[in-house]
Amino acid sequence: MKLREYEAKKILREYGIPVPAGFLIRSAAELPAHLTGLGENIVLKAQVDVGGRGKAGGIVMADRNNAVAMAQDLFKKEIKGLPVREVLAEQRLEIQHEYFLSITVDRSSRQPLLLFTESGGVDIEITAKEHPEAIRTVIANPLMRDIPPFMIRELVGTAPKEIGPVINKLYRVFLEKDALLAEINPLVTTPQGVIAADAKLIIDDNALGRQGFAVNRDLTDREREAEKHGFSYVELDGTIGVIGNGAGLTMSTLDLIGFYGGKAANFLDVGGGAESERVMHAVRLVGSVPSVKVIVVNLLGGITKCDEVAKGIIAAGIPQKVIVRLAGTNEAEGRALLSEKGYEMLDTMDLVVKKAVEVAA
Amino acid sequence: MIYGDKKSGVLVQGATGKQGEFHIGLMNAYAREVGGRGVVAGVTPGKGGKEVHGVPVYNTVKEAMREHDISASVIFVPAAAAADSIMEEAHAGIRTIVAITEHIPVHDTMKAIAYARMEGCSVIGPNCPGLLSPGEVKMGIMPAGLFLRGNVGVISRSGTLTYEVVDELTRAGIGQSTVVGIGGDPVIGQTFVDVLQRFEKDPQTKAVVLIGEVGGNLEEEGAKSTDLPVISYIAGISAPPDKRMGHAGAIVEGGEGDAGSKIARLRKLGVPVASRPSEIPAMVRDLFRGHC
Repeated sequence: MKLREYEAKKILREYGIPVPAGFLIRSAAELPAHLTGLGENIVLKAQVDVGGRGKAGGIVMADRNNAVAMAQDLFKKEIKGLPVREVLAEQRLEIQHEYFLSITVDRSSRQPLLLFTESGGVDIEITAKEHPEAIRTVIANPLMRDIPPFMIRELVGTAPKEIGPVINKLYRVFLEKDALLAEINPLVTTPQGVIAADAKLIIDDNALGRQGFAVNRDLTDREREAEKHGFSYVELDGTIGVIGNGAGLTMSTLDLIGFYGGKAANFLDVGGGAESERVMHAVRLVGSVPSVKVIVVNLLGGITKCDEVAKGIIAAGIPQKVIVRLAGTNEAEGRALLSEKGYEMLDTMDLVVKKAVEVAA
Repeated sequence: MIYGDKKSGVLVQGATGKQGEFHIGLMNAYAREVGGRGVVAGVTPGKGGKEVHGVPVYNTVKEAMREHDISASVIFVPAAAAADSIMEEAHAGIRTIVAITEHIPVHDTMKAIAYARMEGCSVIGPNCPGLLSPGEVKMGIMPAGLFLRGNVGVISRSGTLTYEVVDELTRAGIGQSTVVGIGGDPVIGQTFVDVLQRFEKDPQTKAVVLIGEVGGNLEEEGAKSTDLPVISYIAGISAPPDKRMGHAGAIVEGGEGDAGSKIARLRKLGVPVASRPSEIPAMVRDLFRGHC
């Protein structure tokens, strides 16, 4: 789950990384009370869960005199379709130089990966593509709590020495907050020293509980409903509902829909060992999406038993919408139950998907 | 076969839980069928002295190791304690550790794998179905009925999709040497590269089917690293960016690791890539007509 800038900066501050003086406001009327703490030049930053907000008008430069009016305008805006509900009002920094510092999980080495460039800012993606050599990297040992000095020297090169402690503090944040990504871009030098002008933290969804987050904000309502039943569920914009067991098989079913020229409405993985009641909830959930014309159920029994699946499909009670492919443990029993009730069944993944694409067309 | 055979004694951690108990039963049913040793000991802290399907349970891995000849283990303990189980086994000297558990926080996995590496152990998973060498050994939760002994190795990030492909291969009369589910998380122990290295030293394995997913570039690294003939299939061509498709590892991050560019890179390396699972048997046959 991605934290908002003000949440990330609060954590950075707790770990001793300097951040700009700033206040979170939920309406322009809250701003005057904070003006004395912000100085002459102010920046207003919309706290929306979307990337590239600066270029979309979500970051506004202001001064003490016009800040309230500018904040009023910002609260009326939509940034990439999202309403502005929270604004971070910050002191504007006197920036001398911008750097980029990022810590992430490296799949190849299975260890933390630190990245640093001497030219940070909004165009870091372009730098990464056009001058990959400008990005210095080191791989850290996850069993060590600190980045050793030699690694920091390798990483920062000739950049100011004050950056070293920031790296170690950010590494602590990365480790202790279960971050998949801890990033400061830009990390800036000012007459007052090194400051994290922006901050990005993504927390591992599997660690949200121990990090004190009750819900994952990145999910839609229906996705959250699905999570309650233990499903992995993602909404898409097609007309063919998909229910499978196992992420790979379900993804592969979606791909096959595309292969035969259809469009999937969702991804729903019921998980392993699905019992009839869970299957029923899955079919009902997908059946409740207005755009869904037909539902492909593609289940491969291993631990999952086909007769349990069949009972669940029947209990959901929408035979006109469901096409089934069942194989594996107790296949014959499952098929018998479904054919008794007149459900459409096909033998292979290819056949069931082809049929669904025809029905949806 | 790789990682183990009939002679391998297997330990199960989380032996007295619902999952552990169920799968000890299935693993030992398979062991009886093929004449292997199967699961010889279980571990659940505080449950020492119990038995599960006739298998003795111990409080610690070291206790179990003193009483039995153990070379591999399968972990079913819940996510919060699974990384600790990996380290306990590595410390006790178990060389092959299969972690079935899903939803382990990535930082826990990173530490456990770094520690296991220091101890010289191979971790398969986490969030994986384990492995099965037909006619030899089953370590994990794969449905044994689908498999046929033969010469094709299979490496996969998925569970049921692996069974789908194995089923297709078996129906086409193409047997498997060892099928390894390496797991769906962003951080896993044994990657395609590691498993391929084992297959290269395995005289039984003549070709490998590599089943990948969106996310990362481990499939390409694997294909690049081996001289064995490889066929691939990548799931997730329709996955939208930044959405997690079930597996924590199956996420397209900032335009990296999407299926389209992954497939293009594999084809550039000369690896034939199937556009759907049902194409795989014919492709394997085409490539090794008369060899498998």
